[in-house]
Amino acid sequence: MKELTTLLDRIGQRANINLRDLDFDVPSYTLNLVPLDQMVKFYAFYGITPHHPLDFHFRHSSLAGSYFLGKCRAVNSILYKSDIRGDELKQKGDVFRHKDFEIPILVDEGIEIEDSFLIKTLVHNFSHDPKTLERFFIKDTVSAHYANIHGSPCDGCFLGPLATVDLTTMHDSVIGAFSYVQTGEIAHLNVGPGTVWIRSPGEFNFLYRHPLHKLDDYVSFSAGRTPQGFIVDFVEDRKESFQKVFDVVNIEPSVPVPRNASLDRYAVIKPKTQIGENVLVAQRAYLQNASLGKGSNAQENCYIVNSRLSGNNVTAHGAKIIESDLEPNVFVGFNSFLRGRPDCRLTIGRDSIVLPHTIIDIRKPLAVPSEHFVWGLINNQHDLKSNSMAFNDFSKIDSELVQGNLIFEGQGASFVSAFRERIHHILEANGAFFDGTANKGHAQRNQRISFNTIQPYPDGDLEGLYPTIIIKP
Amino acid sequence: MSAVNEKSIGAIYITHEIKRQLNESTDSNSLHGFFRDDRRFAVAQFRVKDLMVPLEEYATVPAGSTLMDAMMALEKAQEEFIHNKHRHRGIVITDTEKGVIGKLGQMDVLRALEPKENDDDEIGNLGQFGFSAAFIRNRLKQKRLAATPLKDLCRTVAKLKVEDFMQTLSEGEIIDEEASLETAIQQMVVGNHLLSLLVTREQKIVGVLRMTDVFAALFHAAKECELTPA
Repeated sequence: MKELTTLLDRIGQRANINLRDLDFDVPSYTLNLVPLDQMVKFYAFYGITPHHPLDFHFRHSSLAGSYFLGKCRAVNSILYKSDIRGDELKQKGDVFRHKDFEIPILVDEGIEIEDSFLIKTLVHNFSHDPKTLERFFIKDTVSAHYANIHGSPCDGCFLGPLATVDLTTMHDSVIGAFSYVQTGEIAHLNVGPGTVWIRSPGEFNFLYRHPLHKLDDYVSFSAGRTPQGFIVDFVEDRKESFQKVFDVVNIEPSVPVPRNASLDRYAVIKPKTQIGENVLVAQRAYLQNASLGKGSNAQENCYIVNSRLSGNNVTAHGAKIIESDLEPNVFVGFNSFLRGRPDCRLTIGRDSIVLPHTIIDIRKPLAVPSEHFVWGLINNQHDLKSNSMAFNDFSKIDSELVQGNLIFEGQGASFVSAFRERIHHILEANGAFFDGTANKGHAQRNQRISFNTIQPYPDGDLEGLYPTIIIKP
Repeated sequence: MSAVNEKSIGAIYITHEIKRQLNESTDSNSLHGFFRDDRRFAVAQFRVKDLMVPLEEYATVPAGSTLMDAMMALEKAQEEFIHNKHRHRGIVITDTEKGVIGKLGQMDVLRALEPKENDDDEIGNLGQFGFSAAFIRNRLKQKRLAATPLKDLCRTVAKLKVEDFMQTLSEGEIIDEEASLETAIQQMVVGNHLLSLLVTREQKIVGVLRMTDVFAALFHAAKECELTPA
């Protein structure tokens, strides 16, 4: 294991060099975050489909429990139980549109991970940076548990647990625990925990900061400690179920799955779950007594428990929905945590949008009206009033809004249309609108997928590291 | 030195003892550039201890006191002004073990009643999140208008602790009682300690050298100079 230890030190040092301006010490946070002996316990696996390029390159890396799909490269890196999902990468011949530019893609885009340490992290989507269209790079970067790197090239960054960086190129920056950043580009910035920041320069700027004294109950992270809080406990309490799924080689779906839907074999399905047409259930999703209506989806690290999704409901990466009823077209953003109770359920009205990293945790029944934005931390009706707004009202904002912990500058109408368009695109990409012949998406393309497993050195100096592996068609 | 009489010149108070020394002086090192070249004044012979206010005559409160306690102590010191001849504008904060640990001026009290600087910092930091300068200016303005600190004055002054707003001591504001007036002036100007220096005797703080007293001494000397033909 000597080489693995050296590799971990090297990654921490490289990240520290990049973050020296922020005076952020990466190794003090990663120390003991994952015991290195775990690295030999889990196999890595990759998917083979006729719809995605088969192009893997692994060198001098540890890949324990990680999953790869599409064109991926990992060099001098440690990937622990991470999902490197390259099913939305650009392909040769595509045209990328950015403002007035139409840029042809000359080679298949690849996810390139170098000198990085990703823990239970999801990497998905494609690079939105017009400067690096064919390279979705993650370099000198460390991410903690359940972070999401979504369409966001990163160089010299640290992401805390349950942090998300979405459609944003990042350089030398720190994203605190449970923070969400979607701003296009950031550099040399330390974004504090619990920050939700969505910006489109010239159009709108949305900034919400969770009250830290409350957020700490749900997720907290400090140097030398593993992530803490209700959300972390909720996930950890269910990891045994995943272990069983990963231990079995061949597994049959325990519930009926329509022909136009996709249920990943690495998802956990508990009793009383129903899968509708055009539904997509990704690996590491957890469904228990969950009803997913037509066109709904559950992405990686989603938990849907004792809940009903009426149809065309997007449950973005890492979202948890418990004891809740969602009317059609409700969107639940990244890592949101929605918890009703058996005797006081949460209801979310048609077309409403739960913004990323929202926490709704109630002790009395609560109903979010239709066509509303919801954000922040909500424990009751009073919180809902200050942390929600009807689309119509939001569209009327023409300069600024300060409401509770939310600060907004710009055009509300642009914000509303940007979200609506993106949600429509997500449903389309997931195959929610498949009509039997047209509009195929992940739900249809990911049905037939084979998985191969690869293993590390079991002992010696290279224990935990994988040999150099190049996989081509 | 404890003065026995005093004369007011606007905001400047001159003790008779200073005047006596100034008048009797026949030789001294001049404060170069301040007085006429051909005049020499006794003012340069003054030591810090000649001009300082002894600590026992100064308004003091122990650590842990509230802003109200401090203001009461100041009022009490002002009431005794007639007797001890020192108009007080500041309060010294003491600790039973460490002695003097800080001082609180009128500006510090006003600052304590203002909206917290942290709030300003938080709004100011919006710049790094891409908010426009006009937006940030507007937020700061609204924050200040909404703060209305004087509305709850009674509750506020009874709640705030002096340690949270006092100026802690720094090396540059301590001066030995035997130091010359020139040294004291230099220390005040160079160190930007505009209002006062704390005076030590054998490393124990025994008094406060106030700018107002230093200035009064210089003013009087300069005035004598003007009145005396060259």
